[in-house]
Amino acid sequence: MKNNSVNNLKLGIFVASGLLFLIILLYMIGKNRNLFGATFVLRTRFDNTYGLMPGNNVRFSGIQVGTVKRINIISDTVIEVEMIIDEKMLKYIHKNAVTEIGTDGLVGSKIVNISPSREPAPLVRENDILIRGKQVDTQEMLRTLSKTNSTIAFVADELKTTAIHINHSRALWRVLDDSILPDNLRRSASNIRLATAKAYDMVNDLDQIVNSVKNGKGSLGSLLVDSTFSEKLNEAVVKINNLGDSANELAAMLNMTARDVKKEINSGKGTLNYLLKDSSSVMKLQSTLTNIEKGTEAFNQNMEALKHNFLFRGYFRKQEKKMARDSTKANLSRTP
Amino acid sequence: MELSKSVRQFLLETGDIARFMGRFFHQLIKPRNEYAEFFRQCYVIGYNSLALVGLTGFIMGLVLTLQLRPSLLRYGVESQLPAMVGIAIVREIGPVITALIFAGKIGSSIGAEIGSMKVTEQIDAMEVSGTNPFKYLVVTRVLAATFMLPVLVLLSDAISLYGSWLGINIKGVTSFDLFFSQVFNNLAFGDVLPAFIKTFFFGFAVGIIGCYKGYYSNKGTEGVGRSANSAVVVSSVLVFIIDLVVVQITDLMGLN
Repeated sequence: MKNNSVNNLKLGIFVASGLLFLIILLYMIGKNRNLFGATFVLRTRFDNTYGLMPGNNVRFSGIQVGTVKRINIISDTVIEVEMIIDEKMLKYIHKNAVTEIGTDGLVGSKIVNISPSREPAPLVRENDILIRGKQVDTQEMLRTLSKTNSTIAFVADELKTTAIHINHSRALWRVLDDSILPDNLRRSASNIRLATAKAYDMVNDLDQIVNSVKNGKGSLGSLLVDSTFSEKLNEAVVKINNLGDSANELAAMLNMTARDVKKEINSGKGTLNYLLKDSSSVMKLQSTLTNIEKGTEAFNQNMEALKHNFLFRGYFRKQEKKMARDSTKANLSRTP
Repeated sequence: MELSKSVRQFLLETGDIARFMGRFFHQLIKPRNEYAEFFRQCYVIGYNSLALVGLTGFIMGLVLTLQLRPSLLRYGVESQLPAMVGIAIVREIGPVITALIFAGKIGSSIGAEIGSMKVTEQIDAMEVSGTNPFKYLVVTRVLAATFMLPVLVLLSDAISLYGSWLGINIKGVTSFDLFFSQVFNNLAFGDVLPAFIKTFFFGFAVGIIGCYKGYYSNKGTEGVGRSANSAVVVSSVLVFIIDLVVVQITDLMGLN
């Protein structure tokens, strides 16, 4: 009988430990599914749930806070996800928290991520609908990646062509292989440096000149700055003006004279008219002029004869000597 | 002709087993329950099988982990090893391996025990002395098998998971806490409850086949051996058939 009770004790321990494991198993699963403890319901809406299922985890800033309870189709573009959240989270989740569907790892099961927003907002209450954030879709990512890849391939192709061109360019290689070119370049650079130094000096000089002009030094300065000079200039301008007036009067008088002459000519009176219109007087004038020409020629011959005459030869020689002396004096005075 | 004879034999035996089960349920609800014998059988069938079942469970957990590890490593999901091993053990490996070991140990022992009682006419003597032999021998054993196998499976699961944790720690380092939470985070009621419920059917099948084979044992020592042998074979096959049926039902219920 004693043996029997010991056996019963062992049996009791055996069965109890088995049931204990079952209870732990069920409790742990229930705890993960939020079957025990106080919970509340939050809702969110998506246009695509990407294979989210009831029982998937809900995370708030990465912490496991609940599970998806139900997924309802509201319309063809709106799907409402009902989530059971641990009531302890009620004082942390705000109304403007953003939900999105993510993946646990790269290929894991789907999860709903709730992320807090920076702006202040009141805390959530039971059955609130949270706004949804931007979806990070693997398909979208792959599509973008493929586009980037093709662009990179295109760029690589172009680079390849460029590299081939560069490799086959004889001129470029000649430039690269040229050993004199660096020296030349260096020399040019030093020349440029000198030139810039000179330009700098020049600019400095110009600066000085401008400064002195500003201060009224030199003729340009006095022109720009001196007030007496400008007065004188003004006087000169006034005089020029007066001169202009006199010239104007003279011109008017000349005009009158010319008009008188014209009148005389037209009326056929006066000396000028006679001179201009009378053809016989013209003939007379011409013969007079030829007579005068002949007369002066004869007079020239007489004068030449006079020069060679012994009475006057002495005078002419004296005259020549005086001229020569004058010219040497002028030369001496010109060269001190 | 030969085929039709064997088919006929099979159908006859199926009908006999069905009748035997009907008799079991009929006797079960009749008063005067043999509690002391039931608990003794529970001790013999359940507790005494723990060492064997625990050893096989531990080895299964360890080996399964080491076998799965290279494949998962190739896909870079080594961190999912606890989840995968946990689901495999709880859903399938634990119940089926334990039930097969149980069929080998308990099915044969029940078949041999009752068979030898039948052969030595102890059952007839029991009937003469006023004790209901079916109630005393069959009902207690079948009930003990039905209720002890689930407990054995649960303990075997626990030991397997421990073995799996050791297996992970042979090649890598995972804290028990992390392993524990990874296993339980990936288990659902749909994994645990069907597996737990089907173990009752496994235990019942092993008990009822063992008792049937022993109760209808042929005369002679050869008959005892044959009944013990066929008890193991039939109950093992039946475990797989029940497993197949259960997986179909859970699938229909959407628990997979």
